[in-house]
Order: sequence, then C-alpha cells, then structure tokens
Amino acid sequence: MNYDPQSLLGQATPRVDGVAKVTGAARYAADEVVANPAYAYLVTSAIARGRIAGFRLEQAMAVPGVLDILTHENVGDALKQSPPGPDGKPSTTTLESERIWHDGQIIAVVVADTFEAAREAAHKVEVDYAEERPAGTFGDEGTQTEPAEAPFGPNPEVGDAAGAFAAAPVKVEARYATPTQHHNPLELFSTTCAWEGSKLTVYEPTQFMHGTKARMASQLGLDIQDVRAVSRYVGGAFGSKGVNGRAAWVAIAARRVGRPVKLVATRADGFTTNSYRAETLQHVRLSAERDGRLTSFFHEGWELSSRPSPYCVAGTEQTARMYACPNILTRVNVVHADRNTPGYMRAPAETPYMFALESAMDELSYALGMDPIELRRVNDTQIDPVSGRPFSSRSLMPCFDAAAVRFGWQRRDPQPGSMRDGEWLVGYGCATACYPVFTGPAGARLTLMPDGRAQVAMAGHELGTGAYTAVAITAARLLGIDVDDVTVSMGDSDLPPVIVAGGSSNAASTALATAKVCEEARRRLAAAAVTAADGPLRGLDPDALVLVEGRLRHDGGAEEPIRDALVRVGGRLEVYAEHVPDGLPRGAVAALGDGQLLFQHNGNRSDVTAFAFGAQLVEVRVHRRTREIRVPRVVSAFAAGTIINPMAARSQFMGGAIWGLASALHEATELDHGAARYVNKNLADYMIPVNADVPSVDIIILPEKDERVNALGIKGIGEVGIVGMNAAVANAVFHATGKRLRELPIRAERLL
Amino acid sequence: MSGTLNRREVLSGSVLGVAAAGLGGAALGAAGPDAVAATPAAAAQGSPARAEIVLRVNGRDRLLAIDPRTTLLDALREHMALTGSKKGCDHGQCGACTVHVDGRRVLSCLTLAVAVQGKAVTTIEGLSAGDRLHPMQQAFIAHDAFQCGYCTPGQIMSAVACVHEGHAGSPAEIREYMSGNLCRCAAYPNIVAAIEDARNQMERS
Ligand code: FES
Ligand code: FES
Repeated sequence: MNYDPQSLLGQATPRVDGVAKVTGAARYAADEVVANPAYAYLVTSAIARGRIAGFRLEQAMAVPGVLDILTHENVGDALKQSPPGPDGKPSTTTLESERIWHDGQIIAVVVADTFEAAREAAHKVEVDYAEERPAGTFGDEGTQTEPAEAPFGPNPEVGDAAGAFAAAPVKVEARYATPTQHHNPLELFSTTCAWEGSKLTVYEPTQFMHGTKARMASQLGLDIQDVRAVSRYVGGAFGSKGVNGRAAWVAIAARRVGRPVKLVATRADGFTTNSYRAETLQHVRLSAERDGRLTSFFHEGWELSSRPSPYCVAGTEQTARMYACPNILTRVNVVHADRNTPGYMRAPAETPYMFALESAMDELSYALGMDPIELRRVNDTQIDPVSGRPFSSRSLMPCFDAAAVRFGWQRRDPQPGSMRDGEWLVGYGCATACYPVFTGPAGARLTLMPDGRAQVAMAGHELGTGAYTAVAITAARLLGIDVDDVTVSMGDSDLPPVIVAGGSSNAASTALATAKVCEEARRRLAAAAVTAADGPLRGLDPDALVLVEGRLRHDGGAEEPIRDALVRVGGRLEVYAEHVPDGLPRGAVAALGDGQLLFQHNGNRSDVTAFAFGAQLVEVRVHRRTREIRVPRVVSAFAAGTIINPMAARSQFMGGAIWGLASALHEATELDHGAARYVNKNLADYMIPVNADVPSVDIIILPEKDERVNALGIKGIGEVGIVGMNAAVANAVFHATGKRLRELPIRAERLL
Repeated sequence: MSGTLNRREVLSGSVLGVAAAGLGGAALGAAGPDAVAATPAAAAQGSPARAEIVLRVNGRDRLLAIDPRTTLLDALREHMALTGSKKGCDHGQCGACTVHVDGRRVLSCLTLAVAVQGKAVTTIEGLSAGDRLHPMQQAFIAHDAFQCGYCTPGQIMSAVACVHEGHAGSPAEIREYMSGNLCRCAAYPNIVAAIEDARNQMERS
C-alpha cells in the first residue's frame, strides 16, 4: 500500500454514531425488541463452597405468571459443554451439577411472564445446602498455590538476577498488594434468546461476536450456522463481556417455554457471575550501579483464581521488558480459592504489575538520590532486554519530557514532605505506562454505491471506543470520500468475522482490514479504468491511480469522478478482503468465524517487540491533619503510533487515566473472609468516580511514526491510559508525606 | 430477522391502546372492553395481577396494563419500547434511568409507573423537536461527552434539568449537581464542557 497513514488519518472527527447515542436510538442488546418475551431472573448461591442438597420450589412456582424454574435437577443434558474460563481452560460451573464453587454462583433460573413475577419467584426459591468451610483469598486456610507459566511465552529470565542483586551497590526489595476490582460497565450483563425452529438469535453485549456465536453453538450442541449473535452497541465492557455462565441457560429456557427469554442480571449478580480483576501479591527486587543503571530485576507475582481455573495475567511479561537490565528473573503463581473465575479487566496484566515495578523504581530513585524521571532515562532502551529484539518504536522519554514540561516537574523539590501549600502537603509523582500491541485478523466487505457512497460491513464491536467512526474515517480517507458518505455496519455475526475487541487491538485490526478492502476496490476501479476503450485514464499505470477527493486520479493529473469509474464495473462494486497479521495462518479469518482467538503479539512475532508507551505525572495533596487525599492535576503523555481519530483517542486516554486514578484511590471489591463473599456488590459501595471526583486531566498525544508495528502504524490506545496511575499516585503520596504505601487502594486511613 | 418484531407490532401486544390526548386517570373506562381484566381470578389462574394505567409520555397518552410493581423505567423499556432510558443498577445508584416528570429529573428505576399517572413524563426520545437535536444533545456530540453512550440518555436528561434548575453556573457546580449520573467510561470532563456550552445556548434562546 503506497500511502502514509499519518497524513491520511489523524483528523479529529465527531463520532458517526453520536446522534444515535444522544437520542436513545442506539440499540444495546437489552434494547432489542423481541416478540412476547418471557423474563428470566437468576437465583445465586448463598454459600461459597459445598453442594446443593435440594430445592424447595413450591412457593416460587405458585407465584402467578411463573413459567419455569431451571435447576441442575431438571435440565438434564441440555447443556452439551460448559463454558470455559477467559483463557479457554476449565472454569467454575453453574447448573451442570449440585457443586458450589463460589458465593453468588448461578444455581437456578426462574422464567415468568413478567420481570416482576420472575423476581418475586426467584426470592421464593428455597435451597438446602451442604456447606463446607470456604477459603476466600490469600492467607485463608485451604487455598492452594501452584506455579504458573505466563500466557504469551515462558516466564522471562535473563542472566543471573540473584547473583547480580547480591553484588550490587544499591538495591531495593519490597512487597506490594493490589485488590480485587470489578469492571462494572454501566450496562448490566444481559442475554436475550429467541428461537425460530432450530435457529437461535442471541442478543448479548459481547466483545467477540463470533466467539459468542461459536460458544452458544458448542454449549447447546447446535450447528454453528444456526446461531446468530447480535450486539450493535455495548454499554462499556473493559474486558468483562465475553464468555459467561448465563447465556446458554437463557437459550435453554427459551426453548423450554417456547418464547423468547430476556435476562438482565442485577448489578450484584454481575459481581459473581462474570469475571473481575483478581487481587495480587508481588515481590520485587531491583538493584543498580551508583549511576542508576539497573543490574538486576526480580519480580514474582501471586494471583488469585477459582478452584478449577489456572487463569493468570502474569504482568511480569511486561515489567521484564520495561528497562535495560542484564539480569532478570520472573515468576508467577496462581492461588486457588473458593471464588468465581477472574478475567481480563482493562490492562489486565499491566495495571497490577506495573504498580509494583514503577513503585520500586521510585523507591530506587530515592535510594540513589536521583530524579525518578532521570532514573527512567538512564535505563531507557530501544532493545527488548528479554528477547534482544528492537522495539518497533519506543517514545517513552519523549512522553516523559512532554509531560514534565506541561506539568512543571522542575518545581519539584526532591525531599519528601518538603512541599506545602497551607495545610496541604504537596507531592509530585510519576510512572511509566505501557501496553503491548495485539493485532488480530479481520474480514471486511465494502460496497461502493453508484452515487459514490460506501458501505463497510464487518462483525466489529462498538464498546465506546469509537469503532464505527474509526472504520468510517479509514474508509473515507482511503476511498477519497467524506466520512459522512461512509456507512458502517457492525455488531452482527452475519457479517465478516473480526477479532475480539480486546487487548486494545480493535483499531489496528479493523483499520487494517478496512484498508485492505479499500485497496482492493481501488485496484479494481483502476484496472477497469486503464483498460477501458475510452476515458481519461486509458492506458495509464493502474498502480499510479489513487482515490482522492471523490475522484480516481493519476499522479500525472488525469482523473475522473469515482462515479464514472464505477459505471465501468457495473455501477456498484462489492469487494471482500481479509487482513491477516504476519505469522498467523492464512485461514485465520475463517478460524475466527469458528470462535478461535488468533492474535499477533510480542510472544509470537519474531521481528520486533511492540508496545505503546506513556508517562503519567500527578500532583497529590494530603491534608496535614485529616490525611484527606486530593489529586488536583493529572498530566499524561502517550505515544501510540498512528491515531485514527484524535478526538475519540483523547477521550479514551482520559477515561483510562481516570480509571487509573480510581484504581489508585477508590476501587476495591471487599471480601468477607469467613464467607468468601463480596460485600460491596453495588454502585454505591463499590467506589467508581463520580463527576465531582475528577480533577483536571491533561492528555498529550505525541506524534509517533511506527513503520514496523503494522502497515498503518497503529498500536492501540484503550488500555495504556490506566497503567501508570497506580504507581504515579503512590509515588506522589510518598513525595508528599514520606510514607510509602505498597498496598492499593490508597485511602486516608492508611496514611494515619 | 429471526424472532424479532418491529416496535409497532410489539406495542400492540402489551399496550392496550393509545388513548386520546388529554385522557386522565379518571377516564380509564374509555379503554372499555379491550382492556385486560386484572381480576383475582385471573391471578389464581396463573397470570400476574395487572393494573391499568395511563401514562403521558413525550406528549402522548398511553394506556397500559402492567404489574403494579412495575417501575417507570421498566414500563418505558418493556411495555412501551422506549428503550432510550437505561438500566444501570435498578437501585437509584447510577442515574442511567433519569427522565423528567413534570419537568423535574427523576430516577425512573425508583419510581413506580402507577405513581406518575396524570404527570408529564419526558424521556430522551422526547427531548428533541423532530429531527432537530436539543442543544444539550448537540453539545454532547461536539464535546465527545460520551464513549459507550450507555449513561448518555440519563446524563443528558439530568444535564437539561441541571441547567433549568440553575445549577450549571460554574464547572464546580456542574460537577456537583451531575454527580448522581455515573459514567464508567469517565467522560466527565467532556460532560462538564458540553453542559457549559449547552447552558449558554439554552440561556440565549
Ligand atoms: S438504573 Fe436508576 S439509578 Fe441506576
Ligand atoms: S459513556 Fe459509557 S458509561 Fe458514560
């Protein structure tokens, strides 16, 4: 492809789905209208470990309007396969048996004529349990710990970390802890299933249309062609909207009652019937020469999971690659307890693990008497220290420099506790943000209409990332037409498969497929134009023709309107193309259609290591007497390759930074240890930020041209924004108070 | 499309009829023989109890037969196919369900439908005049004041009321009076900017 993405993309564009979203017309899964639906309501376990001894359903069945109650005693073998965990490996079950794996597990599904009747009856289901004593988290009696492998490759290890640490002149060693967190997208988890004969339509918010389709087929024993998944708009996902334990039961219930069934799970049920960010414990050792150059890095993590699931995020894969260091040792362990299975949550690996590394780097900066930004500069590298491969591009220090100027970092007095403003202790803190690049296969269908307008169709996902808009922008630029003249269809598994919208891969994957299909259209129009019997482009080199300003134009100046060019191919042109990242099999898009996940990532590419980077700087104020914590200012700078739409990108970086701030200061799912039960399963007690909590958030997007990461130079932006904030805040709190907090969230009581 | 109907067909299933404008609660008998009887006998036979009510939504009166426990939010979403108002918690903790009742912002998940008979309900679908967006809607687009858009109908209804209440005087005041509307995508700074912008336009007109 003979174009420069940076000159094509990068113009701020209001969202093409903006009107739909501000008028209420955007249809989220639970907004889909089905004929004569029955309503489902979940019954969940009141114990965390044991089994169901029996149900007493009489009172529930007597509620007027109740149609059916599904329990393990009456569903037979309707479920052909249990849904796997987020890693595709075994997970907890629901109605498959009497087994209880965790508190809040789905144990029955009530179906009734109305939502109100279903809810009443669900509360009248009586359950007899044979309860066993549960283990809820680290330190509870009965947990089991096992060493694990990192998901994308062997645990990073280079040189002799223990020997180098022993011999180093400057060293720090510390243990860190991060809490359980829940995604809490504002949209509740929902599933609506409608059968038409043997064909099933499932309306469910999902980050992977074809994954949902394939999963429903395998769980229900259906021909995959008989399942259609629809999810036009997703009300936030952050990693939570994928495989789940409820969807198949809704389909089974719909078959049993002979009507479509709609389930909108309660907010509380969302905490236990979907995934979450597991709590971690981490141990770090860092050593350096007196000039600050790292000599060793050791990082070990312990991550909580359910009894059957080996799921872990192993952020050591990222921390090991952050800085030049000759001796690296990493380990990760999974600790099994009586809990639901965790899963991907925005920057799953980086958010907890970079907290430890970037806190330890700050601790090291004080041990060295060195500015923390300078410590990162001394150890900056263009070579991945684990693989020895170059970074595709790495603008970490330009990010720090841009952010430091905007922030006024030079005003920082290095001495902890030295900066004051009246009753407030003032601290400045910084940290590195990073997120690895994932790119997946995608198919796209393009139709050029006789009037020159374009339609792009792909089973993409709009989670709030601006997916429709990004594809419209890409197509418009490459076809030389206006964004308003492009219509994008997504969110339907009848459309060409697209990789899961996860791992910040959506922009690159969909834009690359869009570029491919636009190039194919250009090629066909050019071929017809140069071989035509007449016309201004006859006989010219087809590769020298470009689509621009509604025309097919030769670089020598000859041109014709795209409408005229279209006449030659029948007035209307429909093309299909697939983008498959290097290193993945040619049939990768078809494999997606079968629900397989195939990514190009740092673990399987052999040319470069690819990350987006950022620098996050915060000012913290801690009240001298009350220890109240305020964060009046956040400045974050990011370099993430080509930015398709700076308007939506800024919003996403900003949202990420606010997520990170909330992670540092507010968010934790609290556990009742004896019962292994979450106690704050609602939006009033699980602290997500409200408008009044949010300070000034200054986002800087650095131009970065990356010719190695992929053909469009796109790295992905959805997750990097959260990553540095935990440590930046903790480091600023140390700078303000002299008190090092190694456990999140940082709350006033921990500063007393 | 398998198993789906358009809104009109569904409306005819759960809404008994659209009463003439101006029909009050006292005129319920006008529904006449078409109305589903909410008799105890019917309940004993397995149908949930139903209450017949008239709701005036976006300037139109609608006659519904619903379970008396039905919230205004569920009445809108499940019985009138007005799905613009969103359910984010069903407990008054998120603001996604915000609508106007007689011009004041109300959490429709905490309001029983039967309790707003005789009052004027406005939802996000009724905010704009035809195809022309309300200045608040326009400002939300211009300032990119949303990402996923799920909180947006509630934010906009709340924001319009916030301006009318006179609580949009400064960014700090807007932040305070908009703090009942959660945005998990954290579009907050853009929401504040949009409200300031729309406030100026609303005050001019
Ligand atoms: S749904 Fe009404 S406040 Fe959350
Ligand atoms: S835009 Fe997603 S919750 Fe506000």
